[in-house]
Amino acid sequence: MIRVLGVVTVVALAAGLVAGLGLAPREATQGNVQRIMYLHVPSVWVAYLAFAVVFVASIAYLAKRADAADRLAHASAEVGVVFTGITIATGSIWGKPTWGIWWTWDARLTSVSILFVMYLGYLLLRGMIEDRERGARYAAVLGIVAAFNIPLVHFSVIWWRTLHQPPSLMKPGPAMPRVIVTALLVNFVAFSLLYAYFVAKRVHLLQLEAEAAS
Amino acid sequence: MPDNWSFVLAAYGLAAVVLLGYWRMLARREKDLEGQSAPPSGSGQITPGSHTTSAKAGERSHASSIAGHPRSAPASRHPLQ
Repeated sequence: MIRVLGVVTVVALAAGLVAGLGLAPREATQGNVQRIMYLHVPSVWVAYLAFAVVFVASIAYLAKRADAADRLAHASAEVGVVFTGITIATGSIWGKPTWGIWWTWDARLTSVSILFVMYLGYLLLRGMIEDRERGARYAAVLGIVAAFNIPLVHFSVIWWRTLHQPPSLMKPGPAMPRVIVTALLVNFVAFSLLYAYFVAKRVHLLQLEAEAAS
Repeated sequence: MPDNWSFVLAAYGLAAVVLLGYWRMLARREKDLEGQSAPPSGSGQITPGSHTTSAKAGERSHASSIAGHPRSAPASRHPLQ
């Protein structure tokens, strides 16, 4: 099952690559460097999705003490950290030619960095506590608290004046050309599949680790 | 504005390296753990739930009984033997 998901994901990622680097037109003001958007925006979408899953799974764990919910939260947090790291790195690479700087402490960049550090802390916390039950409980609490940073990250570009551009897809006013939206949607689907594949693989690995420990 | 293809390639290349690295780390750990949980093949050990039907395992078991001390029939053994 995981292998089939992996094959579908590779096909979707290849389609996303063709759509983003080939089919989508050259952007009028930024030039081809705008093609980083087809990687940067789906990455942050997956990070939001991953941390939302951590939030729900953490509540489920505290309510039912189900190991499956704890494993899902752990796996999703790890994958979320990977994609948040990609978001920050690709954003920085995109920022240099468009803003003239690699990094600035504006509201979006600062809030997403805090998000990254919080979930790194979540993973460290899990690794630090030897009692598995206690570690899972503490991590679940942190997984719920940290999720409140997600809306802060998303709306930071609206609530504060930032160098980072406001949302492009869900905004009032003229819509983006259909080709660009399609290329972006293909990459959204591909990255969501990649997230599902990584989480399924990581959950399986956590099961094997638990079996080996018992 | 210049096209800055080098920045595009750097972003996609970096993401590819990170994602492939993460996938490889997961695959490697999975392989290690599956190797640990699988019973050792060809060891000749008979565990309660396992069936050693291979000729090799049977041969080894028979050979050890010949090379080692002669076995007495279970019924003739003294409890302290």
